[in-house]
Amino acid sequence: MHSNGLFLKDVAGFLGSYYTGLAIMNAVAALVLWKRKHRVGDAILWSCVAGALMILASLAMSGSPTWVPHLPEWLRKLVNTLSGPVNYTAGTTLLFVGAFVFRKFFVKPMVAWTVFNAALLLMGLAMADENFASIVMKPDNVPIVGLVFLLAFFTWVATKQAVENDERIAQGLPPLEKENDEKVLVWPDLVYTELICMVGVAAFLLAWALLLPAPLEEPASSVKTPNPSKAPWYFLGLQEMLVYFDPWYAGVALPSMVVFGLMAMPYLDFNKKGNGYYSINERKFAYLTWQFGFLELWITLIILGTFLRGPNWNFFGPFEYWSPYKVEVLNNVDLPQMFWVNLLNRPLPRVASDAPWYAQVGTILLREAPGLLIMAAYLFLLPPLLAVTVFRKYFAKMGFVRYLVMINLMLLMLSLPLKMVLRWTLNLKYLISIPEFSLNF
Amino acid sequence: MAENKKMSTAEILAAARAAKAAQSAAAVEAPSADVADTPAPKPAPAKAAAEKPAAAKPAGAAGGRPSVAEIMALARAKKEAEQAGTPAAAAEKPASKPAAPKAPAAEKPAAAKPAAKAAAPKTVTRDTASILAAARTGAKPGPVSKADAPPRPVAAAEPASTVVKAAPAKLAAAPALPPKPVKPAAKKGADAEQDRRGFLEMALGSFMATGFTALSMTGGLFGLGLARFMFPNVLAEPPSRFKVGFREGFPAGKVETKYVAQYGVWVVNSDVGGQQQIYALKTVCTHLGCTPNWLEAEQKFKCPCHGSGFYKDGVNFEGPAPRPLERYAIRIADDGQLEIDKGRTYHEELGQWADPESYITV
Repeated sequence: MHSNGLFLKDVAGFLGSYYTGLAIMNAVAALVLWKRKHRVGDAILWSCVAGALMILASLAMSGSPTWVPHLPEWLRKLVNTLSGPVNYTAGTTLLFVGAFVFRKFFVKPMVAWTVFNAALLLMGLAMADENFASIVMKPDNVPIVGLVFLLAFFTWVATKQAVENDERIAQGLPPLEKENDEKVLVWPDLVYTELICMVGVAAFLLAWALLLPAPLEEPASSVKTPNPSKAPWYFLGLQEMLVYFDPWYAGVALPSMVVFGLMAMPYLDFNKKGNGYYSINERKFAYLTWQFGFLELWITLIILGTFLRGPNWNFFGPFEYWSPYKVEVLNNVDLPQMFWVNLLNRPLPRVASDAPWYAQVGTILLREAPGLLIMAAYLFLLPPLLAVTVFRKYFAKMGFVRYLVMINLMLLMLSLPLKMVLRWTLNLKYLISIPEFSLNF
Repeated sequence: MAENKKMSTAEILAAARAAKAAQSAAAVEAPSADVADTPAPKPAPAKAAAEKPAAAKPAGAAGGRPSVAEIMALARAKKEAEQAGTPAAAAEKPASKPAAPKAPAAEKPAAAKPAAKAAAPKTVTRDTASILAAARTGAKPGPVSKADAPPRPVAAAEPASTVVKAAPAKLAAAPALPPKPVKPAAKKGADAEQDRRGFLEMALGSFMATGFTALSMTGGLFGLGLARFMFPNVLAEPPSRFKVGFREGFPAGKVETKYVAQYGVWVVNSDVGGQQQIYALKTVCTHLGCTPNWLEAEQKFKCPCHGSGFYKDGVNFEGPAPRPLERYAIRIADDGQLEIDKGRTYHEELGQWADPESYITV
């Protein structure tokens, strides 16, 4: 950690206005609640919160290390030591499961408002830490912070409508969307809305460009790679995938399968329910598969890549200094090495480089036999097995071809988390490793 | 009506309706229509098309009684009919005012419609089929446009002059439309040009041939110019064979990083399999091609993109890199200096590191 005093003086003005903004937001919420006569209790509660935030704002304005509200040192250290790719992924998975299981609780507006406030407050407290602030306030990363909140909001709105619809359907009522499907006119309703949005967004972008100039770097050079070297934010999920796979798979095959899968989705979906309205109970499988793929395998990886990957692509805790000299032991070995050397205690099958081609190929196949067998079982044995067990109903409804496409897409999607787990637990680099032909899996 | 034979069913119906209305209600209208149609049958389809969509619209919108616009149009049409004798005025009007072309197009239906209303108000106005047909025929030869509309009043006034005038501007646009009677007139107009074209054809062959010859010649010259770019006068690349000094400059255990920026190579003196070697490693990560950094404290090459790590001998041990770093060819030149050749690389996984050209024993 660095000299906190100077940094706090710099950031005091921002933090003060940040807390003031939160206070105003809560005051407006309280006012709205007050106007709905029967919500007086809530109104008083949130105006109290607004008052407390104003006190925090004035403390933050002081800029003194003792007064600026911040997280205690021990908590930051604890978070740093606990954070790592494994805990991060486990934590986000738990969050995902929890948010799904307790969705009826989280869609309540007051609960959501509380969670939203808590998140913003926590971020404010964390921003008093120099290392955290330097990452979050980086001009590249500011929009990503905003997008995280935006994504949470949209997910919440959709989930709320889905939960409401599920309750209505359970009572035998039509979904909300069918109830008030009042049509509006394109002109002027939609066109005017679009015009207003256009003007608003243009003004916002203009102000943003003036306030946060683009962080330009030195001219690119083929022999100089910035450290850390990060893809554009929307590709950071891909970059994280590349940590676990060969480029041809994580950079070419898997993204193509993502696109192909998105296109195939309407043809694979045989569930006629949930058409034109939000619902979770009526299409649990589709909902969970999608949300897992999108939120867990794409968004959380983007967040991980943006905020928690530092120099040398090492993992850094949110309050950790991004040192390029951080030493992390990440040794890993390929499956053939594990199987032949570690397990059977004999050298890898080798052949002289001037041997005939069939001897070479035969040796490679023998060397990679364990990985090839595992992959064959995963891709060819698992689909029929699942068809007669877990997906029996789906197989019957979808038919052979559709089922095969669906299950293969799903297995390929799951290959990412499975490979991550294998890397963390067994230090496995590649199941199949044929560097002779640049073919690794 | 002379135009009947080349009209669609819907047009015939509409025309018949209009004619009936004109007969029964206003005699003023009839001459105007006839003057327009009989002497110059050629522009008829275009005109019919022009009037049909316009005719459909007021019928649909106006309902029971003629709107102000329709009354105005009717009045204007009357005036126009009176002016039909003076061609100059009629011809100038559409040209001078941008709004003018619209008026002639609208006048006809507007004139016909209220009249029709007076005669048979219920039957004519709300016929969906005729509206649709009108829209369809209107869509086919192109909507009422500046190109289509203006010639009509002129034609009404003086057919012969119209043909001559329209020929250069419009004939090419709708070559299929004009029927027989026009042809001699058009031919007559084109005859003068025929001579000039004939002269050019004589001089250069057909115009297509001329055009394609010019195109291919330009393309060929451009291609040659492009090919010239492949052989620049000055090449700013460093040579692929270069000398890095005497072997004394590379003490045991040292990774020399000063050639990275210019040549993209590390020169390493290290123990490989019990043998002290000097070798040149290519500074390209075998995962996705970033440039790793040499970390002296940890004695490893570490890639900033996905965290691949390589030992000092170039063998991969962490992160996703699937194979060791590549070696360049290295030898001792005649003057005793080390010479690296980037033209040849040696892969460990292919067993090429055993090649004596990939290292120098110390």
